[in-house]
Amino acid sequence: MTMDGLMVFAVLVLVAAALSGAWLPRWWLALTLAGTAALLGAAFWTLGGGAEWDWRSGFALGGERLHLRLDAISAWFLALVAVVGGAGAVYAHEYWPDRERPESAGRGRGWWSTIVLCMGLVLLCANGLHFLMAWEAFALSAYFLITLERERSQTRAAGWLYLAASHAGTLGLFAFFSLLAARTGSWELGPMRDHPELAPLFWVALFGFGVKAGMFPLHIWLPSAHANAPSHVSAIMSGVAIKMGLYGLIRFSGWLPVPAGAGWVVLTLGAASAVLGGAFALAQNDLKRLLAYCSVENMGVILIGLGVGLLGAANGDTAWGRVAMAGALLHVWNHGLFKSLLFFGAGSVLHTTGTREMSRMGGLWRTMPWTAGLFAFGSVAISALPPLNGFVSEWLIYLGLFDAAASHAQVAAVIVPATIALGVTGALALAAFAKAAAVVFLGASRTQAAEHAHECGWWMRGPMLGLAAACTFIALGSVAVWPGIQQPLGAWNPAWRGGEAPAPLAMLGAVQAALAALVAGAVVVLWSRSRANGVRRAMTWDCGYAVPTARMQYTGGSFSALAVGWFAWVLQPQRQLRWPRGPFPRRADHVERIPETVLERVIGPVSDVVMVASSWVRQRQQGHLPDYILYLVAGLAAMGALVVFGNM
Amino acid sequence: MTSILEFIARLAVWLLLAPLLPGIINKVKAWVAGRRGPPVLQLYYDLARLWRKGVVLSTLASPGFIAGPAVAWVAVLAAAMLLPLGPLGASLSFRGDVILLIYLLALARFCTAWAALETGSAFEGMGAAREVSYAVLAEAAVITAVLTLSMQSGSLVLSAMLAPSAGTGAVLLAVGLFIVLLAENCRVPFDDPNTHLELTMIHEVMVLDHSGPPFAAVLHGAAMKLLLFSILLVQAVLPVGKLPAAAAAGALVAGVLGVTVAIGFVESLMARAAFRRVPLLLTTAFLLCLFALLVAWKGGAA
Repeated sequence: MTMDGLMVFAVLVLVAAALSGAWLPRWWLALTLAGTAALLGAAFWTLGGGAEWDWRSGFALGGERLHLRLDAISAWFLALVAVVGGAGAVYAHEYWPDRERPESAGRGRGWWSTIVLCMGLVLLCANGLHFLMAWEAFALSAYFLITLERERSQTRAAGWLYLAASHAGTLGLFAFFSLLAARTGSWELGPMRDHPELAPLFWVALFGFGVKAGMFPLHIWLPSAHANAPSHVSAIMSGVAIKMGLYGLIRFSGWLPVPAGAGWVVLTLGAASAVLGGAFALAQNDLKRLLAYCSVENMGVILIGLGVGLLGAANGDTAWGRVAMAGALLHVWNHGLFKSLLFFGAGSVLHTTGTREMSRMGGLWRTMPWTAGLFAFGSVAISALPPLNGFVSEWLIYLGLFDAAASHAQVAAVIVPATIALGVTGALALAAFAKAAAVVFLGASRTQAAEHAHECGWWMRGPMLGLAAACTFIALGSVAVWPGIQQPLGAWNPAWRGGEAPAPLAMLGAVQAALAALVAGAVVVLWSRSRANGVRRAMTWDCGYAVPTARMQYTGGSFSALAVGWFAWVLQPQRQLRWPRGPFPRRADHVERIPETVLERVIGPVSDVVMVASSWVRQRQQGHLPDYILYLVAGLAAMGALVVFGNM
Repeated sequence: MTSILEFIARLAVWLLLAPLLPGIINKVKAWVAGRRGPPVLQLYYDLARLWRKGVVLSTLASPGFIAGPAVAWVAVLAAAMLLPLGPLGASLSFRGDVILLIYLLALARFCTAWAALETGSAFEGMGAAREVSYAVLAEAAVITAVLTLSMQSGSLVLSAMLAPSAGTGAVLLAVGLFIVLLAENCRVPFDDPNTHLELTMIHEVMVLDHSGPPFAAVLHGAAMKLLLFSILLVQAVLPVGKLPAAAAAGALVAGVLGVTVAIGFVESLMARAAFRRVPLLLTTAFLLCLFALLVAWKGGAA
């Protein structure tokens, strides 16, 4: 009963927020926060062991009665929606205010509440038809959020690409849900593990949800959309919206039987996404594109966990599958938290410098110490370094992988490459974030804008601090989070319900806490010792060079050049080099661009062929009546032939 | 009580014995070259002197410039405390500690690179770029080596993984890990620890701007890392955990000394490899570990 009330309250409040957003910013903020708080309460209630919430309407919508259910898997994702939805709303209050963006601020607020509401509905719908409706509404509100700054042509192009890719995925989902409804005779969704004939539908779902999840090579829309959207939108897109694709995969691989090869394929795709996403991220020189590719990488990490979970479930519900799946679920939360934090940090930088080009920044820590510190925190967390939370979830996934490999089962043939891929991914992520944090925040300012940057206000700092606190909590108190992970784990595979934590999480938490304390102690000792000995400030030594300039610093491009060279086979960097010539060279430059390989080298040429074919067909459409009569006759003849010979 | 004493003894081994290794390497190099060479304890003198010296900070450096070496030092020490010491075992042992060890070394790498990039110097940027890039290949080799050990022993606890010998693939693993050791500890043929000033350096060039106590932390951390990799290599290859206590201790000490002398000989007899060759070398290390893994895999299946 209380859950009914909470849900009705959340929906009403979010609808009111969406309607009031355009005119009443303060009311909107209060309403959105109240709505997300209610959603968070509902999610925590369910994860805390509360009963599954199930509700059916008395009326029909589109010929079907509404059926909403909140089980542990939905609640796991709903919690993330609520946290990032609330944090982003506070952040937007300063980042995208009416006085700076009179044209789009109101729209942005309205769509923000809408996307939060729609994602909540996607998570709750237990009816295929309504799931598709909510999915479409969610996809469309994301489109309107991405294109808030629609006066920029790049933004419009990014929005268009997103819309096209998203609908290609939705097409897959239409096929998935209608085939499902055709085979079961009802749009109702729920556990159907005893229908082995449904297993092949998994491949359709993998495509449909894979597009949304940004799985390689279906990620083509993701970098430009995340880079060109306003940063709070990038945060919810990257932190939460792409997780809806994962939700779909986890949800329907739990409810429906999966084909035998599912684990193998998901694991392989995950490993490919992880390594290639990491390589692409390292190669980027646009701060937000770097973060976007890093999402592809982290989706890969989660898919590796899911793949091991699927393999474990298929091989007699082994313990290693369980621990890897737990790691995947925890990484969903972790990535949602620190990726939003990083996008908020990037937004703070973008807000004051007006550029996303890292080579125009540098030395920002002096004027933006809070943002620099929080971005550094996020970088350590996302590189999966101890003592922060990214390490905890990757550690669980590693445990599953290593145990699976040591089992000497047949699956080791795919587990071993995936483990090595995960190791390489970790090193690539570290390199990418050393680059991002250092080029933006450290060293000397490369431009005037960077020199005169200013720190963001508390409305932007607060959400970042909140997200960092959540990361810290998971990092040190993962054992307290375990009962929460256990619920969706049991809902996904009933054989894994209950039982103890599969890994010494309490021990790891204690070690991480000790490490954090030791780190703090060592920093204090070293700092005070240096102070006691005397600290003198002088120019960077730089091997004695007397007049260093900011332009002489290592740029992001040169930082990643070595690794980009190793991955040139997939990154396909385009270089334009003009050498300095003669004794008094006029001009010399070197421009390097990393294309989105799949989009520009695969999808582009294919769509060119389609365009050529279409224009050829169009030339035949000149409005001559005899032509059309010929088409008609030919078509009838073909159908007649089909009727006559088809029955033979 | 005994556990506290043991803990202190273990800490002493790591803190006090680690700076001995670079001294031994230098002695070996001097002996091969027919020189007398610096005293074996030279690094101790250097550390004591640096700890008392003042600090010159770049005008560009943030507080992270001092924090970086501190965090990196703690990370290496924590990784070392996870490593079993022959008959002593590990001070802290749990399932998955080996992954924590690898990632603690990664944390040290991140902090070193961070501190290097603080100064805005092109040299240090170059060193940091190389460090994090080569780590991609080294990480693949290390993960493969760990997979080999875990397949061999069927465990994910360091003390159990390192107790038996690496079996048939031990030689492959030894060579692979030795190459990784040279790369991770910036020895010839990857790096030349004798000079800071070349454009060609990796690690040494990252610490150009450090001075005083932070530089002492950097040097001591590097020495601990060298000891850590040596002990890891010896225990991975020799069945130290299966021997009686005295023999195990002897084998461990002899093994570490052997590794140290081998590094000295490599540095005396080889030149630093051209930079194009570094990825090739690291890939070789990866492939050697991969073959060791295949041997362990097939051995386990039989």
